[in-house]
Amino acid sequence: MPTHLPVVEYEHIRKVKDTPFEEFYTSGHRTCQGCESALVMRDFAKAAGARTVVTGATGCMYVANTSYQTTPWIIPWMHTQLGAGGASAIGMAAGLRALMRKGRIQNEKINVINFSGDLGGGDMGLSGISGALQTDYDLLVILYDNESAANTDIQASGSTTYGAQTTFTPPGSKHRIMQRRWKKNIAGMLAVGHPTCRYVATASATFPALDFMNKVRKALNIGGPTFIHTFDPCPKGWDFHPRYSREIGELGIKCGIFPLYEVIDGHVVYTYDPRKRGRIPVRGYLEKQGRFAHFIDEDYNYVQGMVDKMWDEWEVPGVAPFRAELQT
Amino acid sequence: MAVAQHTQATGAWERQDLLNGCQAVAQGVRLADVDVIAAYPIRPYTEVMDALSKIIADGQLDAEYIIADSEHSQFEIVKHAASVGARSFAGSSGTGWMYGMEALVVTATDRLPPLFLVGNRALDDPGAFGVEHNDAMAVRDMGWLLCWATTAQEALEHVLIGYRVAEDHRVLMPMALAMDGAFLTHSQHMVQVPTTEAVKRFLPRFDLGKRVLHPDNPISIAPQVNEDWVMELRRQNWEAARRAKFVIAEVYQEFNKIFGERYSQPYYTEFMTDDAEVVLLGLGAVAMPARTAVRRMREQGQKVGYVGLRWFRPFPTTELRELLGRFKGVGIIDRDCAHGSPDSGSILFHDVRSCLYPLARRPVMSNFIGGLGGRDISIDDCIKMLDMTRHTADKGSEDVNVTWIGLRE
Amino acid sequence: MIKRVEVNYRGIFQKNLGKYIGSDIVMIATSMGKVAFSNGRYSDSPERNGIPCKYFAFVSPDLAEEELEAECGAKLDIDEADVSVVLDEAMVKGVEPWGWHGVRSINEKVREKGCLLVVTRHATEELLQFIGKLPHAYRLATLDGDASLAGLWVFKDDLTRERVLGAIAAVDPGIISIEAVEAYLSRKDDGTRRAKAAREAYDATLRSITVVPTGQGIDWPHKIPVLPKWHEFEDMGVVVPAVKRSFEIGPRGQARNDMFKRGTTKTHRPIIRFDLCIKCTLCWLDCPDACFDPTDDGLYDVNYEVCVGCHKCADVCPVPECIVMVDELRATNDDSPWERYKKDPVEYTAWAEKMKGTERVHYPHVTGTGREIREGKSVPLKVAKT
Repeated sequence: MPTHLPVVEYEHIRKVKDTPFEEFYTSGHRTCQGCESALVMRDFAKAAGARTVVTGATGCMYVANTSYQTTPWIIPWMHTQLGAGGASAIGMAAGLRALMRKGRIQNEKINVINFSGDLGGGDMGLSGISGALQTDYDLLVILYDNESAANTDIQASGSTTYGAQTTFTPPGSKHRIMQRRWKKNIAGMLAVGHPTCRYVATASATFPALDFMNKVRKALNIGGPTFIHTFDPCPKGWDFHPRYSREIGELGIKCGIFPLYEVIDGHVVYTYDPRKRGRIPVRGYLEKQGRFAHFIDEDYNYVQGMVDKMWDEWEVPGVAPFRAELQT
Repeated sequence: MAVAQHTQATGAWERQDLLNGCQAVAQGVRLADVDVIAAYPIRPYTEVMDALSKIIADGQLDAEYIIADSEHSQFEIVKHAASVGARSFAGSSGTGWMYGMEALVVTATDRLPPLFLVGNRALDDPGAFGVEHNDAMAVRDMGWLLCWATTAQEALEHVLIGYRVAEDHRVLMPMALAMDGAFLTHSQHMVQVPTTEAVKRFLPRFDLGKRVLHPDNPISIAPQVNEDWVMELRRQNWEAARRAKFVIAEVYQEFNKIFGERYSQPYYTEFMTDDAEVVLLGLGAVAMPARTAVRRMREQGQKVGYVGLRWFRPFPTTELRELLGRFKGVGIIDRDCAHGSPDSGSILFHDVRSCLYPLARRPVMSNFIGGLGGRDISIDDCIKMLDMTRHTADKGSEDVNVTWIGLRE
Repeated sequence: MIKRVEVNYRGIFQKNLGKYIGSDIVMIATSMGKVAFSNGRYSDSPERNGIPCKYFAFVSPDLAEEELEAECGAKLDIDEADVSVVLDEAMVKGVEPWGWHGVRSINEKVREKGCLLVVTRHATEELLQFIGKLPHAYRLATLDGDASLAGLWVFKDDLTRERVLGAIAAVDPGIISIEAVEAYLSRKDDGTRRAKAAREAYDATLRSITVVPTGQGIDWPHKIPVLPKWHEFEDMGVVVPAVKRSFEIGPRGQARNDMFKRGTTKTHRPIIRFDLCIKCTLCWLDCPDACFDPTDDGLYDVNYEVCVGCHKCADVCPVPECIVMVDELRATNDDSPWERYKKDPVEYTAWAEKMKGTERVHYPHVTGTGREIREGKSVPLKVAKT
């Protein structure tokens, strides 16, 4: 029983100078210096604007963002539990739809956005996000991925890069590599698994410039349940100086370890295609982070091989890790 | 002594339907004009969701009906729906209730008032469908309103009462309406259904006021705290739970005014207690065999009675202290376990015993554990429990008597 | 008797360093036959890069461990310190670890005759122009050095740890003696290098100690918040108002959280040459803390109260020498630099160049692997074409 909402068409931001000035996620949070995830918050709030309600799943963007009685949020925001990102978005969207249909509140487009971290969105809350992507509610789930439990002193998640040092995966004298899992392909999995979901994308807050804000706007324009997975270099957990958080993101995308794409109405569009300019070696990205300080050639080669395979052999690079063949 | 009497004269009642407990609750949800419902299947509460989906399909209720991916999502959905100002309903049973426990905790600490049906069910393992109260009891210390219905009729009425209490701004707590699995959830009875007009007079629209999450009312809900704030926030919630008791009394008065003199006492129902020497006290459907046992023993001249406790949270401390202090012996029937607890007694027993501690002259207490996993508690079991309660009271024993009833031994 | 040491450190950058120093004090004091334990301030956790944090060590020559723990362990912060170590000199401007803590003076916990020990390149008089006055006399000692910043995984083994131990022995031998420090460090892997560094720091610190008399220092400009009682704020306090929406072009035109500005997070601050700015907007666009304010002439003012000094704007700025990170202690106020520039571009530019100096601090990607000072250059005022 959908409520037909007035359509709000967000404009595509063409030039950085066209970016709206006003902030809806402002100063006063308690994130790390150079926090890319904080920039994800700032950017999606800016892109979405005032008629928005937000839930934030437990994670560093909960704990670091708000200290009690102080908040960086200008738009309404509410905490939700670690694995409840999808459910919280459904709840708000359903509540608003019912109240609008019954004439209790004004019938208008209110953006419903949840953000969840990689543990909340990619591990514990995956089922809830899947549930959300099956509905017909207008909602957007943003998974901000800093590849660890950054709130709990950096423990590995299903999203952590192979081989990275975390407090659960310390290199030791017997085992150099304790993080032996390959990063989960969350956006691809959700895109492949939810045929009625019209928009799934990956993004980075800073590279290419404006890309993320425009993806948020595209998701809100297209309507229905949508999902964006952002790649957030974390100065704390990845161990690099905060100065370089934009550069690390750019390198990660240019080396192809984190593919940028949109799956929009059944089409895969690479919004930055590292193949066009030649992928840079992953080593140039990995060795700039202290979490890979224990890597030897063998490790760099392994990661390079997996990334090569994704780009060269997958049916849909970044999305579907197999090839389709006819039985002969 | 108070037995609910239907008062047709008020004009507040529309019709009589054959409904089981779950269906009665569904009628309550319909009448409460609930906005958002989140469903996930688990026996035995599920039938309320089956009924509601049909009520919505037939256009008798305008609500969002969401099939969640788990109980955790189910409860989070109604929590967040409540945060934007929607009257919300969910429910569960047994392990499903426990699966969503994290969400249940925060619904209370966020001070949001959805109503949940708990169709009481034994916790796994091994899996069992029958009634046990440990599931609902798990929220007893977490800032919840927790109440047991004894009949399908009461269940329907307590959906309305529950929302009214929970949504009162002096309270703002989630409400768990518990109902014995199978005995109540699946047993059909003739149920009086009130008119929509009467319900409208009794139950105002849900209005969160300035705590509602909406772009016109920018707020932040539940920012992270350090040790510098937690105690003050806990104290606020503690006060709300204390206030709830008085709000409940007001709400029942109002209910009686509109629907007829239905309840003489909000927190419990007394049966033949006036001159009783020993009484049993229990929660839920055990009232039926217990009251029958009391009636039969009264016929033989024994001064026995039964107290059916309705509200477990808030606990009617002063009222029960005054009431039970009159008796020589009190036997508590627990459909739950508290392994390794003081005297190995069960949950209800502990709370009642603690409530009576300040009395100068305390009744001698017995605890009966029975009806676990859906096993029935018979009239004979109740007679036996009354006999044992009297025997223990006569002996004046200081030893606590914990007895398993209906166990093969 | 109890000796209390607090180590003020930068979250994450000095997390390992702070903990190592606390642990070392316990090991050394134990080797001297004393009872000791150490812990971190739990409310600092989870730490963030740059946030001021504390680690503690408690030492007693006569108390039982249980009693020492009872006196010191149950508290989330200490009431007084015999020695307050400051591992990043910028913290002398005040510390605000979280909202509702307030910006507090770094010497707040130093007891009478106790010692504030700062790792710094600055002289004591320069430090005292930032530090609040106390109602009693205390000592101030300095240990020559830069803030040793590293990451969570790659530790910077630049002997700061050992030198601080030597300095603690110098300012209060009742906690640990220099002989015990040397003996402890000599047992480590690489011979006398570490012990020697501690001894040299000991000698230098002894020479640096000055007494700060009662009342010397500044009148503390920041209010310390008083937390309300449970009934003094509204029921359902779990809900709090959002930051009130407002925006206008110009300095401080963006609504911000007033209750937690956290400017004390920074070790360095960006100095901006507005005359060189090409108005590309990147500093404003990429700032995670939204601390740049757009102005009507297309420039971006920086609000130093909320800037956390992450260096990101300096990194993304495409114009050489336009945004340069400088030591936070060079700045004496958080006034709008753009307003100063508009008032008098010549004066502002001369001031900015003075602030910048010629040394450019440069961190490698992996913070703990080094720090170098590069040569900067002074760029003359660019006069806009009319």
